[in-house]
Amino acid sequence: MNAMNTVLVFLEQREGVVKKSSIDIWNRVQELAALRPGTAVSALLAGPASSRQLDGSLGGNGVVYHANEAAFKLYNPEHYTRLVVETMKKVAATALFFADTALSRDLAPRLSVRLKASLLTGCAVDDVWGADGGGCCQRAVYSGAAIASFAPTRPLKIYTCTSRPTRSSSAITSGAQASVVVLEPSSRTREELFPLVRRMVMHAGVRDVAEARIIVAGGRGMGSAGSFGLLEELARLLGGAVGASRAVVDEGWRPHAEQIGQTGKTVAPALYLACAISGAPQHLAGIGSAGIVVAINCDPHAPIFDIADYALVGDVHLLLPKLIEEFQEFLKKR
Amino acid sequence: MHIAVCLCQVPDTASVVSFFEGAIDLSRVNGVMNPFDEYALEEAVRIKERFEGSQVTLFCIAPSSAKDMLRKALAMGGDRAFLLSATEPSDPFQTACMLSRAITDYYGEALPDLVFCGKHSTDFQSAQVPLMLAELLGMESVSAIIKLEASHSGIHVEREIEGGIESLELHYPALFSVEKGLNVPRKTTIKAVMEARKKPVDLLPITISESAFVTITSIKPFVKERKCRFLHDPKELVLLLTHEEALF
Repeated sequence: MNAMNTVLVFLEQREGVVKKSSIDIWNRVQELAALRPGTAVSALLAGPASSRQLDGSLGGNGVVYHANEAAFKLYNPEHYTRLVVETMKKVAATALFFADTALSRDLAPRLSVRLKASLLTGCAVDDVWGADGGGCCQRAVYSGAAIASFAPTRPLKIYTCTSRPTRSSSAITSGAQASVVVLEPSSRTREELFPLVRRMVMHAGVRDVAEARIIVAGGRGMGSAGSFGLLEELARLLGGAVGASRAVVDEGWRPHAEQIGQTGKTVAPALYLACAISGAPQHLAGIGSAGIVVAINCDPHAPIFDIADYALVGDVHLLLPKLIEEFQEFLKKR
Repeated sequence: MHIAVCLCQVPDTASVVSFFEGAIDLSRVNGVMNPFDEYALEEAVRIKERFEGSQVTLFCIAPSSAKDMLRKALAMGGDRAFLLSATEPSDPFQTACMLSRAITDYYGEALPDLVFCGKHSTDFQSAQVPLMLAELLGMESVSAIIKLEASHSGIHVEREIEGGIESLELHYPALFSVEKGLNVPRKTTIKAVMEARKKPVDLLPITISESAFVTITSIKPFVKERKCRFLHDPKELVLLLTHEEALF
Protein backbone atom coordinates (compact mmCIF):
# COMPACT_ATOMS: atom_id res chain seq x y z
CA MET A 1 0.00 0.00 0.00
CA ASN A 2 1.09 3.47 -0.72
CA ALA A 3 0.31 5.75 2.20
CA MET A 4 1.70 8.77 0.40
CA ASN A 5 -0.45 10.66 -2.03
CA THR A 6 1.56 10.81 -5.24
CA VAL A 7 1.22 13.34 -8.02
CA LEU A 8 3.13 13.19 -11.26
CA VAL A 9 4.67 16.03 -13.28
CA PHE A 10 5.34 15.34 -16.93
CA LEU A 11 8.77 16.59 -17.97
CA GLU A 12 8.93 17.32 -21.67
CA GLN A 13 12.23 17.08 -23.52
CA ARG A 14 13.04 18.53 -26.89
CA GLU A 15 16.22 17.31 -28.56
CA GLY A 16 17.41 15.85 -25.26
CA VAL A 17 16.92 19.00 -23.20
CA VAL A 18 14.14 19.16 -20.62
CA LYS A 19 11.96 22.14 -21.46
CA LYS A 20 12.13 25.06 -19.11
CA SER A 21 8.36 25.41 -19.04
CA SER A 22 7.99 21.94 -17.55
CA ILE A 23 10.80 22.54 -15.03
CA ASP A 24 8.96 25.71 -13.94
CA ILE A 25 5.82 23.63 -13.30
CA TRP A 26 7.85 20.96 -11.47
CA ASN A 27 9.39 23.61 -9.22
CA ARG A 28 6.06 25.19 -8.33
CA VAL A 29 4.33 21.86 -7.68
CA GLN A 30 7.26 20.86 -5.44
CA GLU A 31 7.18 24.16 -3.54
CA LEU A 32 3.46 23.90 -2.87
CA ALA A 33 3.72 20.20 -1.95
CA ALA A 34 5.94 21.21 0.97
CA LEU A 35 2.74 22.58 2.54
CA ARG A 36 0.93 19.27 2.03
CA PRO A 37 2.37 16.60 4.31
CA GLY A 38 2.17 13.11 2.90
CA THR A 39 2.42 14.20 -0.69
CA ALA A 40 5.14 12.95 -2.99
CA VAL A 41 5.80 14.73 -6.25
CA SER A 42 7.33 12.49 -8.87
CA ALA A 43 8.07 13.11 -12.50
CA LEU A 44 7.89 11.25 -15.76
CA LEU A 45 10.44 12.12 -18.40
CA ALA A 46 9.89 10.63 -21.84
CA GLY A 47 12.87 10.31 -24.16
CA PRO A 48 16.65 10.48 -23.86
CA ALA A 49 17.85 13.58 -22.01
CA SER A 50 21.16 15.11 -21.07
CA SER A 51 22.51 13.50 -17.90
CA ARG A 52 23.92 16.84 -16.79
CA GLN A 53 20.39 18.17 -16.46
CA LEU A 54 19.17 15.09 -14.59
CA ASP A 55 22.03 14.44 -12.20
CA GLY A 56 21.36 16.54 -9.18
CA SER A 57 19.65 19.46 -10.85
CA LEU A 58 16.07 18.43 -10.14
CA GLY A 59 15.30 19.07 -6.49
CA GLY A 60 12.32 17.54 -4.80
CA ASN A 61 10.98 14.78 -2.66
CA GLY A 62 9.96 12.29 -5.31
CA VAL A 63 11.36 10.13 -8.05
CA VAL A 64 12.06 11.05 -11.65
CA TYR A 65 10.92 8.11 -13.76
CA HIS A 66 12.93 8.27 -16.92
CA ALA A 67 11.79 6.40 -20.03
CA ASN A 68 14.99 6.94 -21.95
CA GLU A 69 14.25 4.73 -24.93
CA ALA A 70 14.93 6.14 -28.36
CA ALA A 71 11.28 5.48 -29.24
CA PHE A 72 10.31 8.43 -27.02
CA LYS A 73 12.82 10.85 -28.54
CA LEU A 74 10.18 12.37 -30.80
CA TYR A 75 6.59 12.80 -29.70
CA ASN A 76 4.41 9.87 -30.65
CA PRO A 77 0.84 10.30 -29.37
CA GLU A 78 0.10 6.61 -28.91
CA HIS A 79 3.44 5.61 -27.38
CA TYR A 80 3.30 8.60 -25.06
CA THR A 81 -0.30 7.88 -24.05
CA ARG A 82 0.54 4.29 -23.15
CA LEU A 83 3.65 5.33 -21.23
CA VAL A 84 1.77 7.90 -19.14
CA VAL A 85 -1.12 5.52 -18.42
CA GLU A 86 1.28 2.78 -17.29
CA THR A 87 3.30 5.15 -15.11
CA MET A 88 0.21 6.71 -13.53
CA LYS A 89 -0.92 3.20 -12.54
CA LYS A 90 2.55 2.14 -11.39
CA VAL A 91 2.91 5.02 -8.95
CA ALA A 92 -0.83 5.22 -8.13
CA ALA A 93 -0.81 8.93 -8.93
CA THR A 94 -3.93 10.99 -8.27
CA ALA A 95 -2.97 13.98 -10.39
CA LEU A 96 -0.87 14.69 -13.46
CA PHE A 97 0.62 18.08 -14.26
CA PHE A 98 1.75 19.27 -17.68
CA ALA A 99 3.19 22.56 -18.84
CA ASP A 100 0.74 24.02 -21.35
CA THR A 101 2.55 23.26 -24.64
CA ALA A 102 1.79 22.06 -28.16
CA LEU A 103 2.61 18.54 -26.96
CA SER A 104 0.41 18.55 -23.86
CA ARG A 105 -2.49 20.11 -25.75
CA ASP A 106 -2.30 17.12 -28.10
CA LEU A 107 -1.71 14.44 -25.48
CA ALA A 108 -3.83 15.46 -22.47
CA PRO A 109 -7.35 15.11 -23.98
CA ARG A 110 -6.57 11.55 -25.12
CA LEU A 111 -5.26 10.73 -21.64
CA SER A 112 -8.33 12.26 -20.04
CA VAL A 113 -10.62 9.85 -21.88
CA ARG A 114 -8.38 6.80 -21.47
CA LEU A 115 -7.87 7.40 -17.74
CA LYS A 116 -11.39 8.77 -17.16
CA ALA A 117 -9.72 11.76 -15.57
CA SER A 118 -10.93 15.35 -15.30
CA LEU A 119 -8.87 17.57 -17.56
CA LEU A 120 -8.42 21.24 -16.70
CA THR A 121 -6.52 23.23 -19.33
CA GLY A 122 -4.73 26.55 -18.98
CA CYS A 123 -4.53 26.47 -15.17
CA ALA A 124 -2.30 28.35 -12.77
CA VAL A 125 -0.56 25.79 -10.53
CA ASP A 126 -1.40 27.86 -7.45
CA ASP A 127 -5.15 27.79 -8.23
CA VAL A 128 -5.45 24.03 -8.63
CA TRP A 129 -2.75 22.85 -6.25
CA GLY A 130 -2.13 25.67 -3.78
CA ALA A 131 -3.46 25.47 -0.22
CA ASP A 132 -5.84 28.38 -0.83
CA GLY A 133 -6.56 27.64 -4.46
CA GLY A 134 -9.68 25.56 -3.87
CA GLY A 135 -8.72 23.10 -6.60
CA CYS A 136 -10.52 25.02 -9.34
CA CYS A 137 -9.01 26.33 -12.53
CA GLN A 138 -9.70 30.04 -13.07
CA ARG A 139 -9.47 31.01 -16.71
CA ALA A 140 -10.65 33.77 -19.03
CA VAL A 141 -13.58 32.87 -21.28
CA TYR A 142 -15.65 34.78 -23.86
CA SER A 143 -12.63 36.69 -25.24
CA GLY A 144 -11.59 37.84 -21.80
CA ALA A 145 -14.99 39.33 -20.88
CA ALA A 146 -15.43 36.82 -18.08
CA ILE A 147 -13.49 34.57 -15.74
CA ALA A 148 -14.81 31.05 -15.31
CA SER A 149 -14.01 28.64 -12.56
CA PHE A 150 -13.69 24.99 -13.64
CA ALA A 151 -13.94 22.20 -11.06
CA PRO A 152 -12.93 18.55 -11.59
CA THR A 153 -15.51 15.84 -10.87
CA ARG A 154 -13.30 12.76 -11.20
CA PRO A 155 -10.92 11.32 -8.60
CA LEU A 156 -8.09 11.45 -11.16
CA LYS A 157 -7.10 14.88 -12.41
CA ILE A 158 -4.98 16.17 -15.27
CA TYR A 159 -3.85 19.79 -15.38
CA THR A 160 -2.11 21.68 -18.16
CA CYS A 161 -0.56 24.72 -16.52
CA THR A 162 0.76 28.03 -17.66
CA SER A 163 3.43 29.77 -15.66
CA ARG A 164 5.20 33.03 -16.07
CA PRO A 165 8.63 32.23 -17.48
CA THR A 166 11.29 32.75 -14.83
CA ARG A 167 14.72 34.20 -15.36
CA SER A 168 16.70 31.28 -13.99
CA SER A 169 16.89 28.14 -16.04
CA SER A 170 17.72 25.79 -13.23
CA ALA A 171 15.44 23.75 -11.03
CA ILE A 172 15.28 24.01 -7.26
CA THR A 173 18.72 23.13 -5.97
CA SER A 174 18.17 23.41 -2.26
CA GLY A 175 16.84 20.51 -0.24
CA ALA A 176 16.64 16.91 -1.31
CA GLN A 177 17.46 15.78 -4.81
CA ALA A 178 14.92 13.74 -6.68
CA SER A 179 16.30 10.30 -7.43
CA VAL A 180 16.24 9.06 -10.99
CA VAL A 181 14.79 5.67 -11.86
CA VAL A 182 15.20 4.48 -15.41
CA LEU A 183 12.08 2.66 -16.58
CA GLU A 184 12.46 -0.78 -18.12
CA PRO A 185 12.18 -0.63 -21.88
CA SER A 186 8.92 -2.07 -23.10
CA SER A 187 8.83 -4.40 -26.09
CA ARG A 188 5.74 -2.58 -27.29
CA THR A 189 7.62 0.58 -28.12
CA ARG A 190 9.14 -1.32 -31.05
CA GLU A 191 5.75 -1.25 -32.72
CA GLU A 192 5.45 1.45 -35.32
CA LEU A 193 2.41 3.43 -34.24
CA PHE A 194 0.82 6.27 -36.17
CA PRO A 195 0.68 9.25 -36.30
CA LEU A 196 4.39 9.23 -36.69
CA VAL A 197 6.49 12.35 -36.34
CA ARG A 198 8.82 12.19 -39.31
CA ARG A 199 10.86 15.23 -38.45
CA MET A 200 11.05 18.44 -36.49
CA VAL A 201 12.28 21.61 -38.10
CA MET A 202 13.31 24.29 -35.64
CA HIS A 203 13.46 27.95 -36.62
CA ALA A 204 17.08 28.82 -35.96
CA GLY A 205 17.76 31.59 -33.48
CA VAL A 206 14.14 32.53 -32.92
CA ARG A 207 12.67 32.48 -29.46
CA ASP A 208 9.06 31.34 -29.47
CA VAL A 209 6.57 33.92 -28.33
CA ALA A 210 4.75 31.39 -26.11
CA GLU A 211 7.90 30.76 -24.07
CA ALA A 212 9.44 34.22 -23.96
CA ARG A 213 9.97 36.07 -20.70
CA ILE A 214 9.81 39.36 -22.57
CA ILE A 215 7.54 40.05 -25.54
CA VAL A 216 7.75 43.08 -27.79
CA ALA A 217 4.52 43.10 -29.76
CA GLY A 218 3.36 45.32 -32.60
CA GLY A 219 -0.03 46.26 -33.96
CA ARG A 220 -1.41 47.76 -37.14
CA GLY A 221 -0.15 51.16 -36.07
CA MET A 222 3.39 50.01 -36.86
CA GLY A 223 2.40 50.89 -40.41
CA SER A 224 4.40 48.34 -42.38
CA ALA A 225 6.23 45.02 -42.22
CA GLY A 226 9.49 46.94 -42.39
CA SER A 227 8.97 48.84 -39.15
CA PHE A 228 8.95 45.55 -37.24
CA GLY A 229 12.73 45.75 -37.58
CA LEU A 230 12.62 48.12 -34.61
CA LEU A 231 10.71 45.56 -32.55
CA GLU A 232 13.11 42.80 -33.58
CA GLU A 233 16.03 44.96 -32.51
CA LEU A 234 14.47 45.68 -29.12
CA ALA A 235 13.48 42.03 -28.61
CA ARG A 236 17.02 40.89 -29.43
CA LEU A 237 18.47 43.45 -27.05
CA LEU A 238 16.24 42.31 -24.18
CA GLY A 239 16.43 38.59 -24.96
CA GLY A 240 12.75 38.49 -25.82
CA ALA A 241 10.50 37.57 -28.72
CA VAL A 242 8.42 39.53 -31.19
CA GLY A 243 4.64 39.21 -31.05
CA ALA A 244 1.90 40.55 -33.31
CA SER A 245 -1.75 41.46 -33.28
CA ARG A 246 -4.26 39.81 -35.56
CA ALA A 247 -4.42 42.77 -37.93
CA VAL A 248 -0.68 42.53 -38.50
CA VAL A 249 -0.85 38.81 -39.28
CA ASP A 250 -3.84 39.33 -41.58
CA GLU A 251 -1.82 42.00 -43.43
CA GLY A 252 0.89 39.41 -43.92
CA TRP A 253 3.51 41.50 -42.10
CA ARG A 254 4.25 38.75 -39.57
CA PRO A 255 3.69 34.94 -39.45
CA HIS A 256 0.71 33.46 -37.62
CA ALA A 257 3.08 31.75 -35.15
CA GLU A 258 3.62 35.20 -33.60
CA GLN A 259 -0.04 36.13 -33.27
CA ILE A 260 -1.26 36.84 -29.76
CA GLY A 261 -4.92 36.86 -28.78
CA GLN A 262 -8.12 34.96 -29.29
CA THR A 263 -7.18 33.32 -32.59
CA GLY A 264 -3.50 33.30 -31.72
CA LYS A 265 -1.49 32.43 -28.65
CA THR A 266 -2.14 33.05 -24.99
CA VAL A 267 1.05 34.30 -23.37
CA ALA A 268 2.28 34.98 -19.85
CA PRO A 269 5.52 36.96 -20.11
CA ALA A 270 7.05 38.88 -17.24
CA LEU A 271 7.05 41.99 -19.47
CA TYR A 272 4.69 42.72 -22.34
CA LEU A 273 5.48 45.74 -24.49
CA ALA A 274 2.50 46.60 -26.70
CA CYS A 275 3.58 48.93 -29.50
CA ALA A 276 0.90 50.61 -31.61
CA ILE A 277 -1.65 48.03 -30.47
CA SER A 278 -5.02 49.59 -29.76
CA GLY A 279 -6.11 46.73 -27.50
CA ALA A 280 -9.18 45.04 -28.97
CA PRO A 281 -10.81 42.58 -26.51
CA GLN A 282 -9.66 39.70 -28.73
CA HIS A 283 -6.07 40.78 -28.29
CA LEU A 284 -6.37 41.43 -24.56
CA ALA A 285 -7.77 37.89 -24.17
CA GLY A 286 -4.29 36.59 -24.95
CA ILE A 287 -2.33 38.65 -22.41
CA GLY A 288 -4.45 38.34 -19.27
CA SER A 289 -1.64 36.58 -17.38
CA ALA A 290 1.16 38.92 -18.41
CA GLY A 291 3.23 40.50 -15.65
CA ILE A 292 4.07 44.12 -16.38
CA VAL A 293 2.26 45.57 -19.40
CA VAL A 294 3.73 48.62 -21.12
CA ALA A 295 1.73 50.32 -23.87
CA ILE A 296 3.06 52.72 -26.47
CA ASN A 297 0.34 54.30 -28.56
CA CYS A 298 -0.37 57.66 -30.17
CA ASP A 299 -4.03 57.60 -29.10
CA PRO A 300 -4.29 58.46 -25.39
CA HIS A 301 -7.76 56.89 -25.26
CA ALA A 302 -6.74 53.52 -26.71
CA PRO A 303 -8.26 50.62 -24.71
CA ILE A 304 -4.80 49.10 -24.26
CA PHE A 305 -4.12 51.74 -21.60
CA ASP A 306 -6.98 50.32 -19.50
CA ILE A 307 -4.98 47.17 -18.86
CA ALA A 308 -1.44 48.62 -18.99
CA ASP A 309 0.81 49.41 -16.03
CA TYR A 310 2.93 51.99 -17.80
CA ALA A 311 2.17 54.09 -20.83
CA LEU A 312 3.96 56.28 -23.30
CA VAL A 313 1.74 58.37 -25.55
CA GLY A 314 3.30 59.17 -28.89
CA ASP A 315 4.53 57.93 -32.23
CA VAL A 316 6.20 54.52 -31.95
CA HIS A 317 8.57 55.40 -34.77
CA LEU A 318 10.02 58.19 -32.66
CA LEU A 319 9.75 56.56 -29.24
CA LEU A 320 11.11 53.11 -30.06
CA PRO A 321 14.57 54.24 -31.26
CA LYS A 322 14.89 56.29 -28.06
CA LEU A 323 13.76 53.35 -25.95
CA ILE A 324 16.32 51.08 -27.66
CA GLU A 325 19.01 53.68 -27.00
CA GLU A 326 18.09 53.95 -23.31
CA PHE A 327 18.14 50.18 -22.87
CA GLN A 328 21.53 50.00 -24.62
CA GLU A 329 22.86 52.64 -22.21
CA PHE A 330 21.57 50.69 -19.24
CA LEU A 331 22.91 47.35 -20.42
CA LYS A 332 26.32 48.87 -21.18
CA LYS A 333 26.63 50.31 -17.69
CA ARG A 334 25.60 47.09 -15.99
CA MET B 1 -13.99 9.70 -49.43
CA HIS B 2 -16.32 10.16 -46.45
CA ILE B 3 -15.53 13.31 -44.55
CA ALA B 4 -17.17 14.46 -41.32
CA VAL B 5 -16.87 18.02 -40.05
CA CYS B 6 -17.79 19.02 -36.50
CA LEU B 7 -19.22 22.49 -36.05
CA CYS B 8 -20.26 24.64 -33.16
CA GLN B 9 -21.64 28.11 -32.65
CA VAL B 10 -19.87 30.83 -30.65
CA PRO B 11 -20.61 34.47 -29.85
CA ASP B 12 -19.61 36.80 -32.67
CA THR B 13 -16.39 38.56 -31.60
CA ALA B 14 -18.12 41.92 -31.93
CA SER B 15 -20.91 40.90 -29.54
CA VAL B 16 -21.11 42.11 -25.99
CA VAL B 17 -21.05 39.47 -23.29
CA SER B 18 -22.63 41.22 -20.33
CA PHE B 19 -23.74 40.41 -16.82
CA PHE B 20 -27.13 40.89 -15.25
CA GLU B 21 -27.51 40.58 -11.48
CA GLY B 22 -24.31 38.59 -11.27
CA ALA B 23 -25.24 36.08 -13.95
CA ILE B 24 -23.83 35.99 -17.46
CA ASP B 25 -26.22 37.42 -20.03
CA LEU B 26 -25.82 36.14 -23.58
CA SER B 27 -29.14 37.53 -24.82
CA ARG B 28 -27.47 40.30 -26.81
CA VAL B 29 -24.95 37.96 -28.33
CA ASN B 30 -25.04 37.09 -32.00
CA GLY B 31 -24.12 33.47 -32.70
CA VAL B 32 -21.74 32.65 -35.56
CA MET B 33 -19.81 29.64 -36.77
CA ASN B 34 -16.72 29.12 -34.65
CA PRO B 35 -13.93 30.76 -36.73
CA PHE B 36 -11.64 27.70 -36.47
CA ASP B 37 -14.47 25.48 -37.75
CA GLU B 38 -14.47 27.51 -40.97
CA TYR B 39 -10.90 26.42 -41.64
CA ALA B 40 -11.89 22.82 -40.83
CA LEU B 41 -14.84 22.95 -43.23
CA GLU B 42 -12.82 24.62 -45.99
CA GLU B 43 -10.17 21.89 -45.81
CA ALA B 44 -12.84 19.19 -45.96
CA VAL B 45 -14.40 20.79 -49.04
CA ARG B 46 -11.02 21.12 -50.76
CA ILE B 47 -10.37 17.40 -50.26
CA LYS B 48 -13.85 16.59 -51.54
CA GLU B 49 -13.10 18.57 -54.69
CA ARG B 50 -9.91 16.59 -55.25
CA PHE B 51 -11.24 13.10 -54.58
CA GLU B 52 -14.20 12.28 -56.76
CA GLY B 53 -17.29 10.84 -55.10
CA SER B 54 -16.51 12.38 -51.72
CA GLN B 55 -19.21 13.41 -49.28
CA VAL B 56 -18.89 16.09 -46.62
CA THR B 57 -21.29 15.62 -43.71
CA LEU B 58 -21.67 18.25 -41.01
CA PHE B 59 -22.31 17.43 -37.35
CA CYS B 60 -23.32 20.49 -35.48
CA ILE B 61 -23.79 21.08 -31.78
CA ALA B 62 -25.81 24.27 -31.47
CA PRO B 63 -29.28 25.45 -30.55
CA SER B 64 -31.98 24.86 -33.16
CA SER B 65 -31.77 28.57 -33.96
CA ALA B 66 -28.40 27.86 -35.58
CA LYS B 67 -30.00 27.06 -38.95
CA ASP B 68 -28.40 30.17 -40.49
CA MET B 69 -25.01 28.94 -39.58
CA LEU B 70 -25.78 25.55 -41.09
CA ARG B 71 -26.98 27.16 -44.33
CA LYS B 72 -23.68 28.98 -44.56
CA ALA B 73 -21.78 25.76 -43.91
CA LEU B 74 -23.75 24.00 -46.63
CA ALA B 75 -23.15 26.91 -49.00
CA MET B 76 -19.43 26.57 -48.34
CA GLY B 77 -19.64 23.01 -49.66
CA GLY B 78 -21.09 20.66 -47.04
CA ASP B 79 -23.44 18.06 -48.58
CA ARG B 80 -25.77 17.48 -45.68
CA ALA B 81 -26.03 18.62 -42.09
CA PHE B 82 -27.12 17.16 -38.81
CA LEU B 83 -28.09 19.29 -35.90
CA LEU B 84 -27.45 17.23 -32.80
CA SER B 85 -30.34 17.64 -30.47
CA ALA B 86 -30.02 16.52 -26.90
CA THR B 87 -29.67 18.04 -23.53
CA GLU B 88 -26.94 20.60 -23.84
CA PRO B 89 -23.53 19.02 -23.16
CA SER B 90 -21.94 20.58 -20.10
CA ASP B 91 -18.26 19.88 -20.73
CA PRO B 92 -15.85 18.85 -23.50
CA PHE B 93 -16.12 15.17 -22.61
CA GLN B 94 -19.92 15.13 -22.98
CA THR B 95 -19.60 17.08 -26.22
CA ALA B 96 -17.11 14.54 -27.56
CA CYS B 97 -19.43 11.69 -26.49
CA MET B 98 -22.33 13.27 -28.39
CA LEU B 99 -20.28 13.73 -31.53
CA SER B 100 -18.86 10.23 -31.28
CA ARG B 101 -22.33 8.75 -30.99
CA ALA B 102 -23.66 10.81 -33.89
CA ILE B 103 -20.75 9.84 -36.14
CA THR B 104 -20.98 6.13 -35.33
CA ASP B 105 -24.79 6.23 -35.73
CA TYR B 106 -24.45 7.75 -39.18
CA TYR B 107 -21.44 5.88 -40.57
CA GLY B 108 -21.95 2.60 -38.72
CA GLU B 109 -18.98 0.28 -38.25
CA ALA B 110 -17.02 1.90 -41.06
CA LEU B 111 -15.76 5.17 -39.70
CA PRO B 112 -15.48 8.21 -41.94
CA ASP B 113 -12.10 8.46 -43.68
CA LEU B 114 -11.50 11.92 -42.29
CA VAL B 115 -12.89 14.01 -39.46
CA PHE B 116 -12.16 17.72 -39.19
CA CYS B 117 -12.69 20.01 -36.19
CA GLY B 118 -11.62 23.53 -35.34
CA LYS B 119 -8.62 23.80 -33.01
CA HIS B 120 -10.85 25.15 -30.25
CA SER B 121 -14.04 27.11 -29.82
CA THR B 122 -13.32 30.78 -29.30
CA ASP B 123 -15.69 31.09 -26.32
CA PHE B 124 -14.24 28.53 -23.90
CA GLN B 125 -10.96 27.69 -25.64
CA SER B 126 -10.56 24.34 -23.93
CA ALA B 127 -9.25 22.64 -27.11
CA GLN B 128 -10.23 19.24 -25.73
CA VAL B 129 -13.16 18.03 -27.82
CA PRO B 130 -11.32 17.06 -31.05
CA LEU B 131 -8.76 14.76 -29.43
CA MET B 132 -11.27 13.31 -26.98
CA LEU B 133 -13.45 12.50 -29.98
CA ALA B 134 -10.49 10.83 -31.73
CA GLU B 135 -9.89 8.69 -28.66
CA LEU B 136 -13.57 7.72 -28.42
CA LEU B 137 -13.67 6.82 -32.12
CA GLY B 138 -10.32 5.04 -31.94
CA MET B 139 -8.84 7.20 -34.69
CA GLU B 140 -5.35 8.52 -35.28
CA SER B 141 -5.30 12.26 -34.77
CA VAL B 142 -3.18 15.39 -34.85
CA SER B 143 -4.11 18.72 -33.28
CA ALA B 144 -3.74 22.25 -34.60
CA ILE B 145 -2.49 21.42 -38.09
CA ILE B 146 -1.25 24.18 -40.40
CA LYS B 147 -0.59 22.08 -43.51
CA LEU B 148 -2.20 18.98 -44.99
CA GLU B 149 -1.39 16.81 -48.01
CA ALA B 150 -3.75 13.91 -48.62
CA SER B 151 -3.05 11.04 -51.00
CA HIS B 152 -4.87 7.74 -51.50
CA SER B 153 -2.47 5.91 -49.20
CA GLY B 154 -2.03 8.36 -46.35
CA ILE B 155 -1.87 11.88 -45.06
CA HIS B 156 1.03 14.17 -44.32
CA VAL B 157 0.43 17.10 -41.96
CA GLU B 158 2.41 19.78 -40.20
CA ARG B 159 1.76 21.54 -36.94
CA GLU B 160 3.45 24.31 -35.02
CA ILE B 161 5.42 23.49 -31.92
CA GLU B 162 7.25 26.01 -29.72
CA GLY B 163 9.97 27.43 -31.94
CA GLY B 164 9.48 25.08 -34.87
CA ILE B 165 7.35 22.78 -36.96
CA GLU B 166 6.59 19.09 -36.55
CA SER B 167 5.73 17.04 -39.61
CA LEU B 168 3.70 13.88 -39.20
CA GLU B 169 2.39 10.97 -41.21
CA LEU B 170 -0.94 9.20 -40.73
CA HIS B 171 -3.20 6.54 -42.19
CA TYR B 172 -6.92 6.69 -42.82
CA PRO B 173 -9.15 7.07 -40.90
CA ALA B 174 -7.80 10.16 -39.16
CA LEU B 175 -9.04 13.14 -37.25
CA PHE B 176 -7.55 16.62 -37.39
CA SER B 177 -8.09 19.77 -35.42
CA VAL B 178 -7.30 22.78 -37.52
CA GLU B 179 -5.28 25.91 -36.77
CA LYS B 180 -5.65 29.27 -38.45
CA GLY B 181 -3.36 29.50 -41.46
CA LEU B 182 -4.19 26.08 -42.92
CA ASN B 183 -6.24 27.71 -45.66
CA VAL B 184 -8.32 30.75 -46.49
CA PRO B 185 -12.03 29.89 -46.22
CA ARG B 186 -14.00 30.70 -49.35
CA LYS B 187 -16.66 33.35 -49.58
CA THR B 188 -20.04 31.90 -50.40
CA THR B 189 -21.59 32.88 -53.72
CA ILE B 190 -25.29 33.60 -54.22
CA LYS B 191 -25.53 30.49 -56.38
CA ALA B 192 -24.02 28.37 -53.62
CA VAL B 193 -26.40 29.86 -51.07
CA MET B 194 -29.38 29.04 -53.31
CA GLU B 195 -28.17 25.48 -53.80
CA ALA B 196 -27.62 25.09 -50.07
CA ARG B 197 -31.33 25.59 -49.50
CA LYS B 198 -31.98 22.27 -51.23
CA LYS B 199 -29.49 20.36 -49.11
CA PRO B 200 -30.87 18.29 -46.23
CA VAL B 201 -30.67 19.53 -42.66
CA ASP B 202 -31.86 16.96 -40.14
CA LEU B 203 -32.25 16.85 -36.42
CA LEU B 204 -30.37 13.95 -34.92
CA PRO B 205 -31.60 13.09 -31.44
CA ILE B 206 -28.70 11.88 -29.30
CA THR B 207 -28.87 10.75 -25.73
CA ILE B 208 -25.77 10.40 -23.66
CA SER B 209 -25.44 8.73 -20.30
CA GLU B 210 -21.85 9.77 -19.53
CA SER B 211 -21.33 12.25 -16.70
CA ALA B 212 -19.28 15.35 -17.19
CA PHE B 213 -15.59 15.30 -16.17
CA VAL B 214 -15.58 19.02 -15.40
CA THR B 215 -18.18 21.46 -14.10
CA ILE B 216 -18.17 25.22 -14.25
CA THR B 217 -18.77 26.50 -10.74
CA SER B 218 -18.91 30.20 -11.54
CA ILE B 219 -18.60 32.75 -14.34
CA LYS B 220 -17.77 36.25 -13.19
CA PRO B 221 -17.14 39.46 -15.06
CA PHE B 222 -13.49 40.24 -15.65
CA VAL B 223 -12.55 43.23 -13.53
CA LYS B 224 -9.72 45.41 -14.70
CA GLU B 225 -7.41 46.01 -11.79
CA ARG B 226 -4.50 47.79 -13.36
CA LYS B 227 -3.95 51.45 -12.93
CA CYS B 228 -1.99 52.90 -15.76
CA ARG B 229 0.83 55.32 -15.08
CA PHE B 230 1.50 57.72 -17.93
CA LEU B 231 5.22 58.49 -18.33
CA HIS B 232 7.09 61.38 -19.88
CA ASP B 233 9.74 59.68 -21.94
CA PRO B 234 11.52 56.37 -22.67
CA LYS B 235 14.23 57.25 -20.14
CA GLU B 236 11.72 57.21 -17.30
CA LEU B 237 10.29 53.88 -18.56
CA VAL B 238 13.69 52.19 -18.66
CA LEU B 239 14.46 53.46 -15.16
CA LEU B 240 11.19 52.08 -13.82
CA LEU B 241 11.54 48.70 -15.51
CA THR B 242 15.14 48.23 -14.50
CA HIS B 243 14.98 49.60 -10.95
CA GLU B 244 11.48 49.68 -9.51
CA GLU B 245 10.30 46.52 -11.29
CA ALA B 246 13.79 44.98 -11.32
CA LEU B 247 13.09 43.13 -14.54
CA PHE B 248 16.66 43.28 -15.79
